[in-house]
Amino acid sequence: MIEFVSRISVVCFVASYAVALACEASRLIFRSGVRGAAMVAFAAAGLCAHTLFLVWRAANESSIPLSSAFDWYLLASWLLAGGYLWLTISNPRTPVGLFMLPVVLGLIGAAQVSSREPFPQSPATQIWGAIHGSFYLAACVAVAIGAIAGLMWLIQAGRLARKQAPLRGFRMPSLEKLAHIQSRTPSIAAWTSSAGFVSGIVLNAVYRQRELLETVPWTDPVVLRIAALVVWLVAAAMVSGVVSRRPDAARTNAWLSLVSFVVLTASIVWGLFGVTQHGAPPAPTAVHSEAAP
Amino acid sequence: MTLAFVGGTHRTVPLDLRERLAFSAEQATEALQRFRRLFPGREGVLLSTCNRVEFYTAGEKESQPPPTKQLVSFLAECRGIDVGLLESVLVEECDEAVVRHLFSVASGLDSMVLGEPQIVAQVKQAWAIAQESQTSGPLIGEMFQAALRTAKRVTSQTTIGRERLSIPSVAVADFARGVFERFDDKRVLIIGAGKMAAETLRYLRGAGARDIVVLNRTIGRAGQLAARLGARPGSFENLEAELTAADLVVSTTGASAPIVPLELFKKSERQRAGRPLVVLDLAVPRDFDPQIAERPGVWLYSIDDLSAACAANRKSRQSELPAAFAIIEEETQRFMGDLLHRTTVPVIEQLRAGWTETGVAELDRLFRRLPHLDGVAQAEIRQAFERYAAKILHPPLVSLRSASHSGSPHGLLDALKRLFDLKE
Repeated sequence: MIEFVSRISVVCFVASYAVALACEASRLIFRSGVRGAAMVAFAAAGLCAHTLFLVWRAANESSIPLSSAFDWYLLASWLLAGGYLWLTISNPRTPVGLFMLPVVLGLIGAAQVSSREPFPQSPATQIWGAIHGSFYLAACVAVAIGAIAGLMWLIQAGRLARKQAPLRGFRMPSLEKLAHIQSRTPSIAAWTSSAGFVSGIVLNAVYRQRELLETVPWTDPVVLRIAALVVWLVAAAMVSGVVSRRPDAARTNAWLSLVSFVVLTASIVWGLFGVTQHGAPPAPTAVHSEAAP
Repeated sequence: MTLAFVGGTHRTVPLDLRERLAFSAEQATEALQRFRRLFPGREGVLLSTCNRVEFYTAGEKESQPPPTKQLVSFLAECRGIDVGLLESVLVEECDEAVVRHLFSVASGLDSMVLGEPQIVAQVKQAWAIAQESQTSGPLIGEMFQAALRTAKRVTSQTTIGRERLSIPSVAVADFARGVFERFDDKRVLIIGAGKMAAETLRYLRGAGARDIVVLNRTIGRAGQLAARLGARPGSFENLEAELTAADLVVSTTGASAPIVPLELFKKSERQRAGRPLVVLDLAVPRDFDPQIAERPGVWLYSIDDLSAACAANRKSRQSELPAAFAIIEEETQRFMGDLLHRTTVPVIEQLRAGWTETGVAELDRLFRRLPHLDGVAQAEIRQAFERYAAKILHPPLVSLRSASHSGSPHGLLDALKRLFDLKE
């Protein structure tokens, strides 16, 4: 059993999710009585492999979730994949996978090109690091869910405005449900990203206070891009609040959610390929007892 | 000709002319009574729905159905429409084509929404009116019974009726459900208390709607409908306030001009606090100003908008159509066979009677010449004679039945009449 688990690789669950996505896409082409079961089976198998992979890393490689950029992305994609499986089981006629699985696969792709080096940890900063990573993770998942709901809202609204009947086997959620989701995600994303940013500042302040070498300069590209993202998400949440009692609030929220997702994606891409000291391991010359594992 | 039909549907008759041609139940009764006076001995059923007006007639021998041109004139006179207008749009059929058409109509295969269930009830109602008006005889009766049987078979043996959709259900399921997740927390406003309103209300209640207000210019009708369907009646004077409170509006009045112009809607819009509004304007002419559809948060659908949904519905069910039409064809052939077989019954009865009569006479003569035969022996001989006659008659009767199911058996009937000297 242990040997079996140790052999699970990223390819295993990526392949499962990809097959589930292909099954979802086939809704547009033909009808099938077994497709629903196949989608659930592949998504469940992928999620199972994904879970075992994360557990194995935590148990054997001391890479608990959020301990590296790689694990952080994998945890974000795991949360969305779990959400997809739950939604597919509870709403089998809704093609939610067509919207969620590409994001899941995109996050796994980001994990593959991101660093597997653990973030620097010390007893003094471990809690603040976990808080910082968790809030930022929650913000990203909220932005992704909001964007998915926003895109589905725009498609459903377009269908209703064109007076078109829904495609058989491709029934989108109601505008009311989608509007309900996307009315909450801007504020959740704004609060969690702000909390993540503030906890990052605290974390950095602790580093500075203790004169640790992991200190990130305030002008570091990561600090700037996350600051820009937080500013955008807070602004989006404020706009969403202001328009909430207007007839076109749902449409505005849908576009805000999509733009937030674009800003987040740009931020992630910038982070993947930019030069930064954020999350970098301490310099080898540094001798600080607190930074030692 | 035994059966005849003239009629027009949403495909052949423009809406404005269809509105003028439509018969209410009372008007249909009057028309049928008039038909009985004008064409005594003929049978007739008038089927009038929002999408079709069709007149079915039947008669045999000396009381054959009137020529279809006379039927067109009859309909035109009943509704005060120029005959020329109707002649160009109404379709005429006779005999087998009439049966096939009625079976398709009753099965919902000719409806705007393929497989809609309401048409069965409408066909039943039309037949009931004909029975009350004493224009439904044995021919029409058998044809309508067979039509209802066929509709049931199509529903049970194909999936065409599995998700049966009428215009109100398409409006609720495909459009209102696209906007709202649930209806139990929504205010539904029904304007108009006609059949379409009642039908829509049933679907909405089935979807979970609880808070329903019915507005009608005739408060009594609104009250009746509301009481029947667990809604509450409202005053038409409160239209603006009710519009403000509503989440979903179903409008089905017979008003000749929009009852909700843009200005009136704008007034209520300001107090809606951004809540979305779904308007199902199922009235012809429309009750809501079409410009209201441009307002943010408003989803307005007219009856014409539903035609696209109906077309999509029809398309998605195309795969079931061959199976459904195969049932229609089979039932049509069976009905026509039975109908034609009816014409052979008198000949068969004469033939049997002639053979029986001859046999009885011959047996009497035989028993007189053989007086020593006891009762048991006589009975045995009688049975042997009857079996012999039955066996001799069996092949020609089978041929006659077979001929009646595969077409007209008149050739065989004439031959039998001439061979055995049978009278008409």
